[in-house]
Amino acid sequence: MEANRRSKISIISMILTMGAFILFLIATVINHSYSQIIMFGGLALLLASWAIFFFGYKQPQIPIERVLTIIGCKNCDYKEERQFMEGDYIFKELGPCKKCSGLSYIMGIYSVTIKKE
Amino acid sequence: MLTGLFGDDITSTLINIIWLAIFFSIILLFNQRIQIWNYQRNAERATMKLQMLAEKSKEEALANIQKFAVEGSDIKSKVNSMLDFFAIEPVDRDPFGVLMRLEHILNNRRDRIKAFVSQVAPKAGRVEAANVEDVLEAAMALNFIFKVVRHFLLLGKKTKSLMIFVQLDMQLPLIMKIADAYYKAQKTFSSGKPIGDGFGPLVASKLMFGLPKRVIAEDIVCSELNIENRRVYVIKAEGPGGFVGKPGEAIKKLIEELEGKVARIFMIDAASKLEGEATGEIVEGVGAAIGDPGPEKYKIEEVATKYKIPLDAMICKMDLEEALTTMKKEIFEAANLLLDRLKKAIVERTKEGDVVIVAGIGNTIGIAQ
Repeated sequence: MEANRRSKISIISMILTMGAFILFLIATVINHSYSQIIMFGGLALLLASWAIFFFGYKQPQIPIERVLTIIGCKNCDYKEERQFMEGDYIFKELGPCKKCSGLSYIMGIYSVTIKKE
Repeated sequence: MLTGLFGDDITSTLINIIWLAIFFSIILLFNQRIQIWNYQRNAERATMKLQMLAEKSKEEALANIQKFAVEGSDIKSKVNSMLDFFAIEPVDRDPFGVLMRLEHILNNRRDRIKAFVSQVAPKAGRVEAANVEDVLEAAMALNFIFKVVRHFLLLGKKTKSLMIFVQLDMQLPLIMKIADAYYKAQKTFSSGKPIGDGFGPLVASKLMFGLPKRVIAEDIVCSELNIENRRVYVIKAEGPGGFVGKPGEAIKKLIEELEGKVARIFMIDAASKLEGEATGEIVEGVGAAIGDPGPEKYKIEEVATKYKIPLDAMICKMDLEEALTTMKKEIFEAANLLLDRLKKAIVERTKEGDVVIVAGIGNTIGIAQ
C-alpha cells in the first residue's frame, strides 16, 4: 500500500515537472506579452511538484498490537483470554480451573494486530 | 524561434547566455556534490535514528538490570563498557578444527556475558538472568549497528567519497529494518514474552507437556513419549528463560546413548521467509534445521552421517522482526498444524518399534515445558 502510494506521488510529481518544463519552453520560445504569465504558471507547477514530492508522503501507519494470554484447563474445555501480564509464560500452571476445579494453565501467548492508527 | 529564445536586444541575450552558463556549470561541475549532499543527508538522518535507538536500548537494558541490582551499585559504567564487548572469530586460513575453535570462543563469550549479568544483577534468578542476557545482547547489537553506520558516514564526509555514501545509502533500508527488529525484540525480551523464534520449542513443549524431563545437555531438556508404538525423544531448550542451549550436543549425546539406533531425526525451527511468502507457512525439507554459527549444526550433521540417520527439517516461515518479537497468532496457530504433520510424518516414515528424535530449535523465552 505504502509503496503504491509512493509511486503514485512520484508519477504525479514527474508529470507536474514535465508540465512546468513545457510551459518554460513555450514562454521562452514565444515572443508575446503572455510569456511572463506562462513562466509564472510553470513556476507554480514546479513548486507544486516539489511540494507533493517532499510533503506528499504520509507517515507509515503504525499497527497497534495487543498481546493476549490464553488460559485453558487440563481437564475440561474451559478457555479464557486476557491481556498479557508480566510473569506469564506458556504452560505456566495457574491453579484450580474456574469451571471444573481441575488444573488451569497458560495455553498460549501471542500478539494480534487490532487496528491501525 | 531563435529570436524568441535569445530576445531582441543584446542585454537579454547576455542574460540568457549567463543563465545557461550557470545552469550547465551547476549540472556539470556540482553534480557530484549535489549527489553527495543528498546521500549524506539520508545517512545523517539514519544515523540520528540509530543513535536514538541505541540510547533507548541502553536505557532499557539499564532499567532491566536495575531491578535485580544491589542498591547503590554503579551499573551504568559497567553496562556502558559491556556494550562494546566483542568476540574475535577464529582464523580460517587453516580450516582444520575451525568449528571446535569457534565453539570455544562462543563458549567464552557466553560465559563472560553470564558472569557479567550475575555480577551486575545478582538478585536475578536463572530465568530472569537469561532474559537480562538477551536484553543486553539486543542493546549490544544496536550499539554495534549505530557505530558501524556512523563510521561510514564520517568516513564518507572525511574522504568526500560518493562511493562510500552510495554503498551506505543502498544498504540503509535493510540496516534500519534489522535495527528496528532488535529494538522491538528488546522490549519483548524484557517482558519475557515468547518470540517467533520460539516456534520450535513451542512444538516440542506441546509434545512433552506433563511428561517427566531430564537435562541432557547445557540448558537442554529431554522427554520420552510414545507415538503409535514409536519411541520418541523430544528435546528443547529449558524454558521459560531466554535459552537456546546446545541442541547439537544434546542430539549427539542422545544418539550415542542409544548406540546410533535412531530411525529418524526431525528438526523443527523458525526460518526466514522470502518477501511475498506468508507468515506461519509450514515447509518441509531435509538437513539440520538450525541457525547457529556452525558448531551445533556440525555436531548434528556429523552424528547423523556417522550412523546414517535421515534428517528431516520442518520449518515455519517468518521474517526477522517476527522471529525476534512477540509470537504472532499465525505462528502460534502454525504450531498445531506442524504437530499434526509431524505425527503423520513419524507414522509414515518410521516403523513400529523405531526410535525417533524430535528437536525443537530456537529461543525458548516465555515457553516452559
